[in-house]
Amino acid sequence: MFKEDSRTVSPGRSVRMTISKCLRTISEKARTYLLLIALYNPGVHLGSALSVIEILTALYGSGRVSFLKGDIDRNWLILSKGHAVHAVYAIAAAMGYLSWSELRNSGTIGSPLQNHPELGTPGVDVAAGSLGQGVSMSVGIALGLRMRGLRNRRVYVIIGDGELDEGQTWEAFTTAAHYGLTNWIPIIDYNKIQLDGKIDDVKRKGDLRKRFEALGYQVVEVDGHDIDSILAVLEDVESSDKMSVIIAHTVRGKGVPVLENTNRQRMLREEILQVLKERML
Amino acid sequence: MSISSLAELSELTPRDALGKALVELGSMYKDVVVVTADVGEATRAKYFGDRYPDRYFNVGIAEQDMLGVAAGLALTGFRVYAVAFAMFLMRAWEQVRNSIVRMNIPVKIVGTHAGFSDAYDGASHQCLEDIALMRILPNMTVIVPADAPEVYRAVIESAELKTPCYIRVGRDYTRNITHTLDYEFKIGKAVVIEDGTDVAIFTTGMTLWIALEAYNILKDMGYDPAVVHFHTVTPLDVHTVEEYARKTGAIVTIEEHLVRGGFGSLIAETVVQTYAVPMIMVGAYGFGRSARSPEELYRYYGIEPNEVALRAIELIKLRKK
Repeated sequence: MFKEDSRTVSPGRSVRMTISKCLRTISEKARTYLLLIALYNPGVHLGSALSVIEILTALYGSGRVSFLKGDIDRNWLILSKGHAVHAVYAIAAAMGYLSWSELRNSGTIGSPLQNHPELGTPGVDVAAGSLGQGVSMSVGIALGLRMRGLRNRRVYVIIGDGELDEGQTWEAFTTAAHYGLTNWIPIIDYNKIQLDGKIDDVKRKGDLRKRFEALGYQVVEVDGHDIDSILAVLEDVESSDKMSVIIAHTVRGKGVPVLENTNRQRMLREEILQVLKERML
Repeated sequence: MSISSLAELSELTPRDALGKALVELGSMYKDVVVVTADVGEATRAKYFGDRYPDRYFNVGIAEQDMLGVAAGLALTGFRVYAVAFAMFLMRAWEQVRNSIVRMNIPVKIVGTHAGFSDAYDGASHQCLEDIALMRILPNMTVIVPADAPEVYRAVIESAELKTPCYIRVGRDYTRNITHTLDYEFKIGKAVVIEDGTDVAIFTTGMTLWIALEAYNILKDMGYDPAVVHFHTVTPLDVHTVEEYARKTGAIVTIEEHLVRGGFGSLIAETVVQTYAVPMIMVGAYGFGRSARSPEELYRYYGIEPNEVALRAIELIKLRKK
């Protein structure tokens, strides 16, 4: 859709407002689609997917990444918290890349829309599902793009806050810092809940800002449900010559009161129908 | 590569052969990249790093990250060799499965110090499980060279593979013989070294010399054994396995690895589904120990020529009943 770079004139205020409104519409539409998918597909992790809708909408909707996979010379997106992949499907549908019947069949044996990203899953670049591994793979891709001289190409990786329990994520953060990969843009979905409960009850995460800063990253915090702020932060980080980590403060289950700030991933059919009715009114 | 240059390789250790092969690949292919995990010196991956510093990455003591980074580099079109100790690559088995094999990314994983080759360091470092763990993965090619010259050939040949692969390399211990044998090294093709009809001795990796010495003992005793070397464990050359099962009716396997799940198990799985014959599996049955040499450890587990010959004779007698 819209992508700013140095060759184009920055859109004026009114255009920006139109874009912003358009992306908000997409994200709300995606929320509805996500609930609709969950009516049919028991493998949707609703809480986690609702948490990352705006982050993903900002990335896809601004044209930074595409649902159509091209060659190596492009921006890449790795959803390391692969269990939230239905958010990608829902946004793709909201933007017209997937049909309702494709969404409804997601998670069936024959569908390319598997319940965790596989090879061939539209919109995401690597198979994921095993936490921590997408982070290392994204570092490898960023390193590869740099070796190819594709300096203005970036790799966005979305990492869960619970996922930071995996030691491999820290291995990857140190590798990226060691090689100074400024084209690598990690975004932490900081919703403060993981499978067994509140993140600090399960295992203390410490001061995340300080942990990243200690490795040499600049840390930028943002409201992970405010698309305008996310876009502004992305622009800042992309134009910076420092390595950055974006901590996006989010709410697990955002937009569905019975899920918000709980560790619930699934809803009863009646509950979903009730929420859909309220949303449709 | 000509045989005369193979003869030059006959003086090398397995890890030196690996290092030299990587350097050679670096000049053959501009897209070869090597990653390692703080074992550049010990694995000889650093030979490549010294020559091609821009294509060499050391991620520190982080095997799991190393394999993910290798997968990512491969996705951007590079031919990636991930080199570390076999034992500590196994801690990243799930990364091999989920970051590499599930997407069928052709990363070449090279595990050195495998088997008993790291005799001094003892059980914690002696990897006797890697063939089992790697061979069960779909699409995975597993290559277990017999000596330093074959390590060199395997590493060079692997560059054109379109699947993920695991190459098992030792440290310094080797009895270099393959440079004296006349055969074409072709991944997936077993090498029939001696033809025979009484019993088939199947071997993979560094135990080839043991098979050949057992062959001599058996010959001296009037038997007619066959020796087949499987440098490629998967995809297994099932035609040769079946051919020799039918021809000899008795198979002895030898490996520097646990027989449970390893090469012997693989051959058993194959013959029971093609042409079942009695088998004996020679190999390790537990952990290693610190020792002065790999051969001490071979003896500890009965992986030696006399033992193989005796077991083969038991089988021949059993078959003739």
